[in-house]
Amino acid sequence: MRPAGRGPVRWAAEIALGGYRSVLLGALTGLLPAVGVTVGVGGWRFASSWSDRLTAPLPVRVLAACGEALMTAVWVAAALWIVGVLLARPIAQTCRRLAGRWLGLRLAVEYPPPVPVVQMATGYWWDGTEYHSSEREARRRAAMNARFHTPQLRYDGLWLAAAAVTVLPAVAVPLTTLGAGAYLLSRPGLPVAGAALVVLGVLLAPFGWRVFGPVAAALLGRTPRDRRDERVERLEAIRTDLTRTQAAELERIERGLHDGPQARLVALGMSMGAAERLIESDPAAARAILSEARAASATALSELRSLVRGIDPPVLVERGLVDAVRALALDAPLSVEVRAALPGRPERPIEAAVYFAIAELLANAAKHAHAAHVDVDLGYADGTLTGTVADDGTGGAAPSPGSGLAGIERRLAAFDGRLDIDSPSGGPTRITLAVPCVLS
Amino acid sequence: MRVVVAEDLFLLRDGLVRLAEAYGHTVVAAVDTGPAALDALRTGPDVAIVDVRLPPTYTDEGLQAALTARRELPGLPVLILSQHVEQLYARELLADGNGGIGYQLKDRVLDAGQFMDAVDRVAAGGTALDPTVVAKLLGRPHRADPLAALTERERSVLELMAEGLSNTAIAGRLFLSEGAISKYTTTIFAKLGVGADTDTNRRVRAVLAYLDADR
Repeated sequence: MRPAGRGPVRWAAEIALGGYRSVLLGALTGLLPAVGVTVGVGGWRFASSWSDRLTAPLPVRVLAACGEALMTAVWVAAALWIVGVLLARPIAQTCRRLAGRWLGLRLAVEYPPPVPVVQMATGYWWDGTEYHSSEREARRRAAMNARFHTPQLRYDGLWLAAAAVTVLPAVAVPLTTLGAGAYLLSRPGLPVAGAALVVLGVLLAPFGWRVFGPVAAALLGRTPRDRRDERVERLEAIRTDLTRTQAAELERIERGLHDGPQARLVALGMSMGAAERLIESDPAAARAILSEARAASATALSELRSLVRGIDPPVLVERGLVDAVRALALDAPLSVEVRAALPGRPERPIEAAVYFAIAELLANAAKHAHAAHVDVDLGYADGTLTGTVADDGTGGAAPSPGSGLAGIERRLAAFDGRLDIDSPSGGPTRITLAVPCVLS
Repeated sequence: MRVVVAEDLFLLRDGLVRLAEAYGHTVVAAVDTGPAALDALRTGPDVAIVDVRLPPTYTDEGLQAALTARRELPGLPVLILSQHVEQLYARELLADGNGGIGYQLKDRVLDAGQFMDAVDRVAAGGTALDPTVVAKLLGRPHRADPLAALTERERSVLELMAEGLSNTAIAGRLFLSEGAISKYTTTIFAKLGVGADTDTNRRVRAVLAYLDADR
C-alpha cells in the first residue's frame, strides 16, 4: 500500500511510513539477536569472573578462558533455542500479516491442528504417537506435538535467522544513522555532522525496510514440501475422477450396445428364422417379416452411429480438431463463426477433450444463454492450445458442482488444462480453455 | 454404365459390385485404398461409388480422392458413401456447383432399388443427398432474410430437390400434381436468383444458393 498524494506530501508520508515500518521490523527481527547478545555478554562476564583471581601459567589461563567461552556459547545456544522455539511462530505469523498488509503478499501457511485423541479399548488415551493414562495429558501432548513437532516450525526458525542477517541490518542503517545524528545534535560540538546524519537517516528511511519483501516472499511462503503435497493431492483427485469417469463411460457404452444394436440383432435373427419357416407356406408373410427385419437393421445402424459419435466423433478422426469444430458449428442451432489457426494437430486425447468441451460450450450457449451468435477461436501459442467461445447471450455461467462447466474443467484438468470463465450476469459470456500440448 | 467401386470392407465392396452388375452395369474397377480409388476415378467412369474412409490413413481419403478427381474432371459423377453424414462434407462436395454428386449413408444400400436409383441420378448429373444430411443442411433456423422468403411448402420442395428427386417424384411424395411442383420450382429458382440453365444444374445451384444465403 503506497501513500497517496504527490510531491513533498508524498515524500513526507513515505519517510514517516518507512520509519514506522523500520522500527516495527527492527523490533520483530531484532528480538532474537538481542537475546543472543544479552545472554552472550552477561554470560561472558559471569563466566570470566570465575578466573578473575587466577594466578597460573599462561597455558592454564588460556585453557580456562576457552572453557568459559564454551560455557557462554552453550548458554547463548540454549537461550536462542528456547526463545526461537517459543517465538518463531508468532513472529513469523506477524511478519506474514505485515507482508500481506504492506506489500500485498499472500503468504498464508497451514499449521497442522492437534491430532484428535482417542481412548483405546485398554482405557489408555492415544495422542497419535503415545499412550497416556489421562485424557487431559493426551490432549496436552497432542497440542504440544502439533505446536512444536512440525516442519513448519523449522522454516519459521530459518526465517528468524535469515531476517536477523538481512532485514535487521537493512532497517538498522537508517534508524542508527538517525539516532547517531540526534545524539550528536543534542551534544555541543558537532552540529553540522549531526544534522547531516539526521538528513541521511531521514532520506534512507523509505528504502531500508524494502528488503523485507523479497526475503519474506522467499522464506515465509509455503514450503516446497507443502507445495508438493498439494500437487500430489490435486493429481490424486484427478486420477480418482478419471477412473470414475472412465468407468461411467464404459458403462454407458455397454448399456447402449446392450439395449440397442445387440437387442436388435437378436430380433433380426429371430425374424430371419421365422421368415425361413414361412417362405414356403406363406411367401407374403415371409416378405413382410423380411422387410421389417431390414428396418430393424437400419435402426441398429443409426443407434451404433450415435453411440460412435459420443465415443469418438468420426469427423474428428477424419479431419482433426479444426474441421470437427467447423462441423459442430454447422450443426449448431445458432449462428457460429469459427476462426482457427493451428499449425498442426494435437494428440488425439487432447483433441477429443477440447472438441467435447467446445461442443458442450456451444450447447450451453444455445440452451442456457439463449445466444444468437457465437464466435469460436482456436489458436496455438507458447506450447498452449487455446479455444475461446464467446456468445452474446444472457451470461451468468458458473462451474457449480455437477454442472457441465465443472465437468469440462475436470476433463481438461487431466491434461493440466484450465478453463477461464468470464460471464457477468446479463452477458456476454466469454469462456477460454487452455491446454498445454505439442502439435504434430 | 461403367462403374468404379472404392470400399475397403470386402463384404460391402463385393455386395456393391454384385448389386451394380445385377442392375446391368459394368464394374470397371473395385478398389480398396485411397490412391487406387484416385487412379480409378481418373479413368473417367460413368459413375463412381466411393467410401469416405479408406486405407492407408483411414481418415477421409475417399472424399479427398473424389474432390481431387472432380477438380481434374469437372462434373465426374461420384456417389460418396459413409457411416455418418456431415454437412461440412456435403458443402465441400456441392461447392463446385457441377452436380453429379451423391452423398449417402451406408444404410441406404439396404434398399437396393432406391440406392441404384440414386446411383442413376448421380450418373445423370443430378444430386442424391441423404435425407439426413438434407435435413441438417436445410433444417437450420433461418438467419438470413432471403431464405425466410421461401414458404414452408417451397422449402419442402427444395429439400426433396436437394435429395435429387425429379418433379414427378416430388409430386408423388408431397401428394401434389406435377404441374403444381413445376410452379413451385419456378418460384424457388426466381426467389433464389438462379437463372436459366439445364434443369439438373439449376437444381443443384438452387440448393447451393440456399446454403450460401444461410451462412
